Amino acid sequence: MAVENQPGMACAEFEALLSDALDQTLAGAKLQNFQAHGASCAVCGPMLKNAEAGQDWLKSLQDAEPPVTLVNDILVATTGLRANRLGAAIPSRASWWEQFTALVFAPVMGVVRQPRFVMSFGMAFFSVSICLSLAGIRLSDLRTANLRPSAIKRNYYETSGRVVKYYENIRFVYEMESRVREFKRVTAPAEPEREEKNKEHKNDTSGRPDQKEDRNYRQGETSPLLAETSEPAIATANTLRRSL
Amino acid sequence: MEDARAAAMLVRRCLAGDAVAWEEIVQCYHRRIYNLCYRFAGSADDAQDLTQDVFIRMYRTLKSYDVERGALVTWITSMTRNLLVDHFRKNRQARITDSLDSALSEHEDAPTLGERIPDKGVPPDAGVERRETQETVHLALQKLSPDLREAVILRDLQDMDYREIAAVLRVPEGTVKSRINRGRAELARQLQRTYRQVM
Repeated sequence: MAVENQPGMACAEFEALLSDALDQTLAGAKLQNFQAHGASCAVCGPMLKNAEAGQDWLKSLQDAEPPVTLVNDILVATTGLRANRLGAAIPSRASWWEQFTALVFAPVMGVVRQPRFVMSFGMAFFSVSICLSLAGIRLSDLRTANLRPSAIKRNYYETSGRVVKYYENIRFVYEMESRVREFKRVTAPAEPEREEKNKEHKNDTSGRPDQKEDRNYRQGETSPLLAETSEPAIATANTLRRSL
Repeated sequence: MEDARAAAMLVRRCLAGDAVAWEEIVQCYHRRIYNLCYRFAGSADDAQDLTQDVFIRMYRTLKSYDVERGALVTWITSMTRNLLVDHFRKNRQARITDSLDSALSEHEDAPTLGERIPDKGVPPDAGVERRETQETVHLALQKLSPDLREAVILRDLQDMDYREIAAVLRVPEGTVKSRINRGRAELARQLQRTYRQVM
């Protein structure tokens, strides 16, 4: 704005007083000087008129009506609770115990009652129950006796045995193991005689060791010679003993 | 003074976990905040989202409210204004105070801002006329620069005094008055041009 010195008042002073004039808080000589300047100044006069008009326009604006669900939406977003009717839940005089619980427990309960907390708690419970059922633990089976060290130890071995058995009974694992075995058999050099012998003894339930014959041969080979000549050994100690 | 004491009591109850106290605060201030957001953002949907955001932020930071430092309404308005400024920066558009005669593009035949404001003929029904006038003023308000807009909204629509507005905007009272004057004058100029074109 151009600073002009009109009679009685400068333009800067006029602008500073403009708000007060529109609020009708100006009085006396100040008001007269203000009006005189507004009437004579080519810049400040229109500005006063525009500001007055703008204020009138703004005052004509009515409050916008907020959506009906806004309060509920806010309450749900903040506390997770729906709107209650005011006054219904406010106790007139709270006892010291109610005040104490309101001070100590209410903030905790406010958090606990939030949907996200309930959701988290539900998910945690669900996860724990799945883990327990996978481990073969049933809450109904838990007794005081089961908490003794020996019972816990036994449960541990039973559970680990069950897990191993479950693992080995899985079709995929079984197939993989059989494939690996087959692969080993194909790649390793074959021992047909031993395999045949094994087949022969497959139905043998006597419990006799299979390599007994070999052991005897070995024993024959390693047994001390009674006499040594340039000829090959004729009899070993065993054959002599047998002949006696 | 009585209001400030009642508001402080409400806040204390709310901090103690009283859900009813929080509901009272929401009931008491949601209309005011919604209107502030609506007049500043210009859209009812944005205003609804922003109002919710204000209350969520308020719920989280209620502990930081200090009764000694000012009235609850000033604190809430200040928080709303910060959120609106953030929103404005995120959705920055050409929100400077453009002249209604300026074209939207460089083409000579392009429509001016004044032409974008819908043609408001004189309707036979006074209720409809009033509603349309309000829409025109609301549209013109959106054309003001954010600094001028927030000042006139806080003064003329929220009825705050200069000291409170200065606290909210964090500028001296003289600056507040100057912005209000310029905002009112600019709004009137825009509306005069609009109606001149219509006539």
